[in-house]
Amino acid sequence: MDPGPNPTPDDKGLAALSLRAPAALPPDFAAVPEIEDEEEEEDDDEGYFTAASRGGSSSTAAWKEEMEGLEEEEEEEDGPPSPSSSGYAGERGSSLASSAAGGAGIEEPDHHDVDAPQPHGPGAEDWARDKKHADEDDASASWRKRKKHFFILSNSGKPIYSRYGDEHKLAGFSATLQAIVSFVENSADHIKFVRAGKHQIVFLVKGPIYLVCISCTEESYEGLRGQLELMYGQMLLILTKSVNRCFEKNPKFDMAPLLGGTDAVFLSLIRAFSWNPATFLHAYTCLPLAQATRRAASAVLQDIADSGVLFALLMCEHKVISLVGAQKATLHPDDILLLANFILSSESFRTSESFSPICLPRYNPMAFLYAYVHFFDENTYLTLLTTRPDAFYDLKDSRARIQDVLLKANVLLEVQRSLHENALRVEDVPVELSSQSTSLPAQSSQGNSQSLSSEMAIGGPAGLWHFIYKSIYLDQYVSSEFASPIRNPKQQKRLYKAYQKFYASMHDKASGPHRTQFRRDEDYVLFCWITQDFELYAAFNPLADKTQAIKICNRVCQWIRDLENEIFVYGESTLAWQYHHCWGDI
Amino acid sequence: MASRRRMLLKVIILGDSGVGKTSLMNQYVNNKFSNQYKATIGADFLTKEVQIDDRLFTLQIWDTAGQERFQSLGVAFYRGADCCVLVYDVNVTKSFEKLNSWREEFLIQASPSDPENFPFVLLGNKIDVDGGNSRTVSEKKAKAWCASKGNIPYFETSAKEGFNVEAAFECIARNAVKNEPEEDIYLPDTIDVGGAGRQQRSSGCEC
Repeated sequence: MDPGPNPTPDDKGLAALSLRAPAALPPDFAAVPEIEDEEEEEDDDEGYFTAASRGGSSSTAAWKEEMEGLEEEEEEEDGPPSPSSSGYAGERGSSLASSAAGGAGIEEPDHHDVDAPQPHGPGAEDWARDKKHADEDDASASWRKRKKHFFILSNSGKPIYSRYGDEHKLAGFSATLQAIVSFVENSADHIKFVRAGKHQIVFLVKGPIYLVCISCTEESYEGLRGQLELMYGQMLLILTKSVNRCFEKNPKFDMAPLLGGTDAVFLSLIRAFSWNPATFLHAYTCLPLAQATRRAASAVLQDIADSGVLFALLMCEHKVISLVGAQKATLHPDDILLLANFILSSESFRTSESFSPICLPRYNPMAFLYAYVHFFDENTYLTLLTTRPDAFYDLKDSRARIQDVLLKANVLLEVQRSLHENALRVEDVPVELSSQSTSLPAQSSQGNSQSLSSEMAIGGPAGLWHFIYKSIYLDQYVSSEFASPIRNPKQQKRLYKAYQKFYASMHDKASGPHRTQFRRDEDYVLFCWITQDFELYAAFNPLADKTQAIKICNRVCQWIRDLENEIFVYGESTLAWQYHHCWGDI
Repeated sequence: MASRRRMLLKVIILGDSGVGKTSLMNQYVNNKFSNQYKATIGADFLTKEVQIDDRLFTLQIWDTAGQERFQSLGVAFYRGADCCVLVYDVNVTKSFEKLNSWREEFLIQASPSDPENFPFVLLGNKIDVDGGNSRTVSEKKAKAWCASKGNIPYFETSAKEGFNVEAAFECIARNAVKNEPEEDIYLPDTIDVGGAGRQQRSSGCEC
């Protein structure tokens, strides 16, 4: 499923780069110094990778080192064949790849994953800790061992954001990245990614902004590119696309200060890449609630929306309780993800009601909206989006009215209860197909939990461990709790990565889209099923029987259908009608 | 976030091959000099923190290769430069004569908004060689050239002995800062949803 080591799409661009790559690596280049295992820092979800390149003098970038390797051999002017000759091109694979191959002898340090990717996202106490490792730069062994880097830079090579290390200390590295992008652009081409041993360097060019991910996490190119798109979206949410105009007027524009204080936002998004399926499904998820409760919340939000608010959102952590848009405005799931991430990762929103300019990149990347944000309790918050910069007091009043209704209808209490009780459990998947249960899963857990076969006793029927169901019409997904074999956060993260790969292969433009895929490996059986109505991703015990598994997937779909009124949010009635209309037999 | 953030300045070093661009940079950044000549390939990137008055800056120094075959890198490398340092070898007349074309090439490729006032600094390097006896370009001649180009600051340097290098780079940094606009105007729009009655699409840009 992975692109091969020498993928064709960007061969052209790479060949250009390799013109100055050494035909044979001098021994000093290939020898990568031993890297001492360092204590994995607790939160780092990605950990370290083996060194890709040797750090030379301070802040000298990896590309430069490759060049250094060459310098011994290359005489000035009348030296070996000029770099423009094609003689070097054939060596491309080895040249770019060998920077990592040199490190192949080093065992990847074990990374203890102390910090769980919390299913509900990082808590408030999380972001306050400094995890940027500002003391690091590209010359530090620890920096080079990090498994997943994210960079944002300008097209003049000025650093804007780096996940690890101080941006200014990485100015030389940043210049190198720009040089690589621009060099390929010079030949009227563009670079998509470079694969070097275990590492993948993925580039995303957005006008004057370059985004780069360097990763050895074995995620797919499409997956990493999608993550860079979200990073860009997050940046737009904070600044809008008007930053482009700053670059048009002044190519020297130093953008980093504009993002001051938003490190936590990007960090929290990067973490979401490994625990939040919304980041690759492009769908949002709802908090399960009794229909009447949700209706009460939606009714009052609708009232507000009719009086001049563009969007009204009631959310609990990353889950939507109710969502209402004025007239025909619709909110893209990515915008919901980025907005929730922005709000949840910025501590100041929790401490008082706030009014902040924000941009919804999928709605209109060019301009700001204004967000009124108020937390009703630790995790339930209301966001009212308006176009009026002077609407704070009006929205404050609206919030008071909403709060009244929510309290009277017991919505906030129900939300807290749901948060703890209403999770979908694989053990609850009904075995009887005729089950017409429309009650919430927590209440139905007793009756239906016998397994289909005794040897698959752990987890749900037929050894079902986990599933994600995405409704295509609603742009919403639900996912089950993890069964005990994947209770540990590291296993959960691995499963998500497997899902992401699965997702990418199902939606592969070249060979897909596909309808079903069944895959068995030593960790689990993965099954994916896509129809025009839904996408189902399910993980089973690796010994699960295929026929049984498929049968259970059918039941999961039936079950979801029985519960749809509690687990999904319906917008306008027309949309809901269309949705019901499209429910085919499964 | 109390104090003003450090600013990043992009500095490009240009000049014929062998005039000592890399050596100047190494002397400045690492306080090192090597007699061994190694041609730069493509470009080198180094960073150095400087304090000017009471503000901290990071210089991102782009040391380019002098050979003509690397000229194709131009546009990409020159974009968004805050200052351009021209270097020649006082013992090689040709490297001095080529300054015009380096300067013009830079202005074409980088196309700064105000080319007349774009900050250049000229360095005449290798003044230590042969006790100055092999010198072929006089200080007077160099200064005259600088005057004709809008009073470009001029420094005579020796990367080998570290002479005048620090002073030259301080001037480079100061000039780069001077050229920064007072502040970049970042004025995003607010969405206009078309108000009452109008059925306009939100247009975003209306400045």
